[in-house]
Amino acid sequence: MTNVIRVQTLDGKTIEFVDEIVGSGAMKDVYFTPCKTKVVAFYREPQDAASRDRLEMITGAYKDRIFDAPGGNYWREQFCWPEHMIEHEGKLGMVMPIYPEHFFFEYGSINNDMLGIKGKEKQGKWFASSNNRERFLDAREKGNWLNYLQICLKIARSVRRMHAAGLAHSDLSYKNVLVAPTKAQTCIIDIDGLVVPGKYPPDVVGTPDFIAPECVATGHLDKHDPNRKLPSIYTDRHALSVLIYHYLLLRHPLRGDKVHALDPNEDETLAMGENALFIEHPSDTSNRIKLDNVRESELPWKDTDKLPYTITGPYLSPLFERAFINGLHKPNDRPTADEWETALVKTLDLVQPCVNSACTQAWYIFDNTKSPSCPFCTQKYEGALPVLNLYSSRDGANFKPDNHRLMVYRDQSLFPFHINRQLVPNERLDDKFRKRVGYFIKHHGRWILVNENMPDLSDVKSKTPIPPGAHIELIDGLQLLCSKDVGGRLFVVQMVNN
Amino acid sequence: MARRLPVYLLIDSSGSMAGEPIHAVNVGLSSLVAGLRQDPYALESVHISIITFSNTIEELFPLTPLESVQIPELELPRSGATHLGEALETLCMKVEENVQKSTPTTKGDFRPMAFILTDGKPSDLQLFDEMAARVKQMSFASIIGCAAGPKAKSEYLRQLTSTVVTLDTMDSSGFSAFFKWVSDSITAGSQSAGVELSADNGTLPPPPAEIQLAI
Repeated sequence: MTNVIRVQTLDGKTIEFVDEIVGSGAMKDVYFTPCKTKVVAFYREPQDAASRDRLEMITGAYKDRIFDAPGGNYWREQFCWPEHMIEHEGKLGMVMPIYPEHFFFEYGSINNDMLGIKGKEKQGKWFASSNNRERFLDAREKGNWLNYLQICLKIARSVRRMHAAGLAHSDLSYKNVLVAPTKAQTCIIDIDGLVVPGKYPPDVVGTPDFIAPECVATGHLDKHDPNRKLPSIYTDRHALSVLIYHYLLLRHPLRGDKVHALDPNEDETLAMGENALFIEHPSDTSNRIKLDNVRESELPWKDTDKLPYTITGPYLSPLFERAFINGLHKPNDRPTADEWETALVKTLDLVQPCVNSACTQAWYIFDNTKSPSCPFCTQKYEGALPVLNLYSSRDGANFKPDNHRLMVYRDQSLFPFHINRQLVPNERLDDKFRKRVGYFIKHHGRWILVNENMPDLSDVKSKTPIPPGAHIELIDGLQLLCSKDVGGRLFVVQMVNN
Repeated sequence: MARRLPVYLLIDSSGSMAGEPIHAVNVGLSSLVAGLRQDPYALESVHISIITFSNTIEELFPLTPLESVQIPELELPRSGATHLGEALETLCMKVEENVQKSTPTTKGDFRPMAFILTDGKPSDLQLFDEMAARVKQMSFASIIGCAAGPKAKSEYLRQLTSTVVTLDTMDSSGFSAFFKWVSDSITAGSQSAGVELSADNGTLPPPPAEIQLAI
């Protein structure tokens, strides 16, 4: 029978844990509370004063800054944030929430879970590797491409929140971001290592694959050498870009076939560091993936001609270019988490369901051509496809393009943040703006917008109001004013006929 | 081709391992493979080969992708010498033959890892000395020695590597802790992907409490 140990947290709460290690990380051993609703994690090694101080801030001021702010509740599911600090038998530790159930495999691997991973944590690496996903994972665990876009949005949003609070995670990787693709949920873990610029230095370098090139290139220097580059918000930005690229394209942006050195370790160090080169660099093609070297299970993902990064659409593509071409070796040029979040929100309005019901990815991004097709299964879109171009006004008279489009598909919804530029779908959005205000259906071959809750909706040219409950057919050139409020949007309909 | 991480396990199968020790090793090997298969990093790159040594050397199977590895029951001769030197010779030969080297146009495998488990001392001392020198010149990512039981002589293993663990007893709990550590080391190896960082990083995980690191 194992013992239950009762300890006081440093903020005066009583907590119990079962004296049996249920998991071990690189630095900590983890125990369950008797009710298994929390875990207690202890550092194996004694921690210095700065680490203690940091943990105190993480469980105190930093936690409050994020969770007690407006919209703070939203973050409870996005972060596994240490709640209390404890000390027991000379070891420093923390109390944390357990991961929600959807972050553990429900079905696991194929063939009646041949790998025995049912019930194990859903580490991102299972889903970010085409080989793992295709050969081992049960189909019910995989999720589709829309799910991965949503996952990327959630990760970007969570990183944006940390950065906005002046905190760098310092070790963003598949391991430290749990994902539940079928539920489009993510959770950032291992937060106790976070870095505060100028205050708490990093104690990890990060995970290979995600370490910024400048950190790899200076990794041989001593930690106190002024030329050594350490994890920071800038290196988090690199890691975030790699995560997004990897989840959407199932390949690493820097792992091509260029041989930098004959010794494998030296080669890896150069490939991820000093000589890091984007596999899809437009002019320097020396690091392209050679298809002869690729495993069957890695296709079509590793075929950069078939699935170039541009399939991610017009908002994400320029960010990938900044992350891996201009900003790869210039940390200041890297896209911020905020920019990724904005681009992902807009990209989610560009998705189109694939008409091929057997398509494994099920969704793709409109490619701005007159005969769009799914890049994953090559299925062409059939019939008329309406595209709404979003405009908004600063003065109520002149409407300017917002560089934002909304694709129409069956049962696609319109939300308040589509019809008003000033509303942004994030954690601060008020509940009253989260309700659908209209939807689209296809009826007898014609596309119809049904108004549910847009009191101002009107056809601009004919000046005809379309009151809630009424509907209007979408035709090429139709202009719809959605809202007379400040920031109200005007839609211009384009029909893609093929 | 994605880089492979070659992992060689050299296991003492001399007569003195009979009984509980070899059973414990069999169990340990099976759980090692089962555990690694639950690691998505290891599944991407780890290839395993097992070589046993007594008075004969046997390659149980050559470098095999982790998902296809099947661990056969190790069987032992009734008695017999411990030809560790000859085993190292085989190891060097296999590494030369099977680990892909990089060329200016293609990427080769990662540096191999080797784990050597023995409960005695080499009986082919002259060859052992010669091979120990050769092994040190081959670029292994890491070599880990395990001296199991009271008769094991860790000083020989220390000629090969500074990382030698000793097991006081040859029961299943000791071996299972050792194989857990082997598993953690391989996992760390498959994650670090050869990126070289300063000395305080990229090191092996600490050995479990049941095992003593020979100093």
